[in-house]
Amino acid sequence: MKLNTRWLKEILQKMPVVSKLCEKLTSIGLEVDSIKKLKSESIIDIEITPNRSDCLSVYGIARDLSAAYKVKPIKPKVTRFIFNSSRNIIKSVNKKISPHYTCLEIVNIDNMIKTPKVIKSRLLGCGITSINLVVDILNYVMIELGQPFHAFDNDRLKGKLSVRLSRKNETMEGLDDKKYCLEKNTPVIADQNKIQAIAGIIGSKDSAITRSSRNIIIECAYFLPNLIRSASKLYKIQTDSSYRFERGVNPLSHQESLKRVIYLLQKFTRYKRISSSQYIDKKLKKYNKKKIVFNISQFERILGQRVNTNEIVGIFKRLGFEVKTNKQKMTVRVPSHRFDIEHDYDLIEEFARIKGYEKFLAQSAPSINIKKRFDEKENYSNKISTSLVCRGYNEIKSYSFLPKSYQKEFISENSIINIDNPISEDKAELRTSLIPSLIKTYKYNANRQCTDLKIFEIGNIYWRKNKTLISEKNSLAGLITGRKSNLSLKINSEPLTFFDLKGDLTSILPNLEFKPATNSKFFSDDAQSSILQNKKHIGYCGEISEFFYTTESINEPVFIFEISVPSLNFPENVSYKELSPFPKVRRDLTILVDDKISGKDIIDIIIKQSYKHLINIKINDVFYDESNFGNDKKSISFEFQFQKRQSTLLDTEVNNVMEKAINLLIKKFDAQLRTT
Amino acid sequence: MKRNLSTLIAQLKVELDQCNSLNGFMTLKSNYLGKKGKITLEFNSIKKLNDDDKKALGKELNLIKLEAIELFDEKGLIIKKSTRKGKKYFFDVTLPGKGIEIGSRHPITITIMLIEEILSNLGFATMTGPEIENEFFNFEALNIPKNHPARDLHDTFYIDKEKLLRTHTSSVQIHTMLAEKPPIQIMTPGKVYRCDSDPTHSPMFHQVEGLYVDKNINFCHLRGLLTDFLKEFFNNKKIEIRFRPSYFPFTEPSAEIDIKFKGKWLEILGCGMVHPNVLKNVKIDPKKYSGFAFGLGVERLAMLKFGITDLKVFFENDLMFLSQFSSLR
Repeated sequence: MKLNTRWLKEILQKMPVVSKLCEKLTSIGLEVDSIKKLKSESIIDIEITPNRSDCLSVYGIARDLSAAYKVKPIKPKVTRFIFNSSRNIIKSVNKKISPHYTCLEIVNIDNMIKTPKVIKSRLLGCGITSINLVVDILNYVMIELGQPFHAFDNDRLKGKLSVRLSRKNETMEGLDDKKYCLEKNTPVIADQNKIQAIAGIIGSKDSAITRSSRNIIIECAYFLPNLIRSASKLYKIQTDSSYRFERGVNPLSHQESLKRVIYLLQKFTRYKRISSSQYIDKKLKKYNKKKIVFNISQFERILGQRVNTNEIVGIFKRLGFEVKTNKQKMTVRVPSHRFDIEHDYDLIEEFARIKGYEKFLAQSAPSINIKKRFDEKENYSNKISTSLVCRGYNEIKSYSFLPKSYQKEFISENSIINIDNPISEDKAELRTSLIPSLIKTYKYNANRQCTDLKIFEIGNIYWRKNKTLISEKNSLAGLITGRKSNLSLKINSEPLTFFDLKGDLTSILPNLEFKPATNSKFFSDDAQSSILQNKKHIGYCGEISEFFYTTESINEPVFIFEISVPSLNFPENVSYKELSPFPKVRRDLTILVDDKISGKDIIDIIIKQSYKHLINIKINDVFYDESNFGNDKKSISFEFQFQKRQSTLLDTEVNNVMEKAINLLIKKFDAQLRTT
Repeated sequence: MKRNLSTLIAQLKVELDQCNSLNGFMTLKSNYLGKKGKITLEFNSIKKLNDDDKKALGKELNLIKLEAIELFDEKGLIIKKSTRKGKKYFFDVTLPGKGIEIGSRHPITITIMLIEEILSNLGFATMTGPEIENEFFNFEALNIPKNHPARDLHDTFYIDKEKLLRTHTSSVQIHTMLAEKPPIQIMTPGKVYRCDSDPTHSPMFHQVEGLYVDKNINFCHLRGLLTDFLKEFFNNKKIEIRFRPSYFPFTEPSAEIDIKFKGKWLEILGCGMVHPNVLKNVKIDPKKYSGFAFGLGVERLAMLKFGITDLKVFFENDLMFLSQFSSLR
């Protein structure tokens, strides 16, 4: 709402300097967005919150300021006029659209006269361009008093006006030159033949007022906010009028507003005769003097400070409320322009607002001892991200959206969740994986000469289980590519491989296992592994799929992982095993086996035997030598560790186990012993 | 004989001086103190003397032996230390360490963690909830019925007729209040979405909201808590804070807090006393309980904290941007 300070001065008795005025406005909840200083006046842009429709006018703002400044607002000049309840112009009014509908019929008006400069410039300051005298005066009164009007050229109307719901296939050409084909049940104003306005929103071009209009009808109405709001959304039209109607316009001020219109018409032009017609629903009274009864102790309970009854009464009276007190009980009657006040807590805010929030001093909240219910998984995320950061990963945050149809390469289209009203084509569906975002981030950085990177993200992924069921879960994904950190001497700068990724994962998450896999389309078929924790599948890791290499034109090997955070499991406790005081014995074994046999196959079979005193076995080295072993064999070395709990191990005990193990490997894997 | 003894120590000193390897040192030690060492041999030779001489010479020899041991111990320390450190080149501490890997947390994560740390010390527990919500949790339960003009403040992404992307994390407060009885003191960090994109708005951003519901919680408590929070967050005890009336459908009275930043008031958060309708919607009796709620925009706070001026950089993930935060863990 743009507020002209000269205009305000006509209504507000006390007029401080602009900076003080703005401070006051903000302190009572009418936040000043900006100030534009002109020659003799300033235009203050005020953000009016949706509950304060009563402040969408110069008078409304002055009324609120007056309460704060302890003065009375000055009513703008009006012309006396007696309204009668004739129905000369109005045929019928649907009370569910408009419980109060008033029209003025003006005969033989001169609309060729130029609009006075002051009106023109004040309207312009509010962003409204001058059209013709009548329309300008109506707009002027709307800004001044908050009541929107509409004017019809009576010579273009056939018969009386009806306020009704539209029927199917009715059309109207709007003042904005657009053709509207109306849906059923849109609130409209129609004459005998056709629709002349979408109620409270926009009029028809057909009956629009022009400078040559002679006979006119001025409509002053109260339309139910919900209806106007729905229609405004449906047809995507927002006008100064609809903006006010959908927030609530005082239903009981028609006469005052029209008298102001008549005053200005009288002052600036000539006409032959004015007559009025109006419709008033019986229930209209309920809008006035809503009664709220409450106990003053409520004020202290919510505001946390002792309050003075006289102070409350004073503030409420200045706001135009009627107040009666009986000891602690207070009865307040609310004027019809305050749509936002219905309960005692609304009044608490009114009191605090006008008194000034700064008067309520800070207190420490009582501390209570609640058992902390930290989200456990949230905690996991923090643990993991700390570990990854320590291993050189940079955390990224990216949008939950992906471009339209991007993901159908990877998962079934039925699983993808589309946004009904996306902000753009490239943010049209929710991601089912964090991997595309990681790759996008890699590309972004590669285009800026940064090709060595280790990045990760923790965020939700989303998918459709079936037509109605939707699911989301927290996911952790990472990407590595390029060379190892170049922060150390050159010797470390070798290319990153799958095993760097695996090493990172094994270091940060306990009890991992890796098994060859082909299920995930994000990964290459021949370098993909399933990640298991405590035998449970928790995610995938491996090289990116060929799709990314080609569509994103990536030339360097890129390795990625993605893990489901809710599947993760951090042990809560361990039970201590007593240490043996006797020395460990270590034996190495190197064998030649078929290349297709995995290291884990060999270790698993040895562990399965539960050999006596064998406490650990691990792979030490793997190497290939085509000229000596052929191209289908590899050499693989193991380290065995033995220890006895009760005594020192004897050589024979160890030799015995090693012999059994060697025989087992020869039998199971056709292994050849290699002596080094 | 006596002369011989006195030169023994002098000779040892010279030889020790010349010795600069561990091997040489060991040989030298056995040359003097070993089974056939010079000092040992002297001890053997006095066995033949008469008792008086034996006693006198023996005492002297013992002193010499003790002195020799002391000299060897002294040199031994030096030799072992120099052997441990290898050849004595210039010890350049400025060369890079091995295996350096420096990662970083995203500034948004850092900001959320800082907020959580402060609020956790003030008694708030973290709760999270789904980002895909239905109208009830995101709007209706929060006193924003269909067709309410306040929905204009929340340009919402819809998935279908009922499901939407949450426009605030207040939905988590509803889940919590339905599941728990007061006292409830929670903070709800997370991603939220608004169908809005320009230099000052991102379609996705982060919030941490707080909720405290109990008997006798009032507006002055809200003010006290948020004042403490802002002083702590900006690490500035003298920060200028302004409370001013505002409007949110789910709180009443509602307030917005501005801080003085570079001479200008800057809107920093919205808050208020939980609206009785919201309490009723989650079956908490507003006559018995009251509460306050507040919402923090994480990007906004991060921008002020780190001096970031462009909202866009948060989601571009330029390594040159991210790595600037590596020292904050």
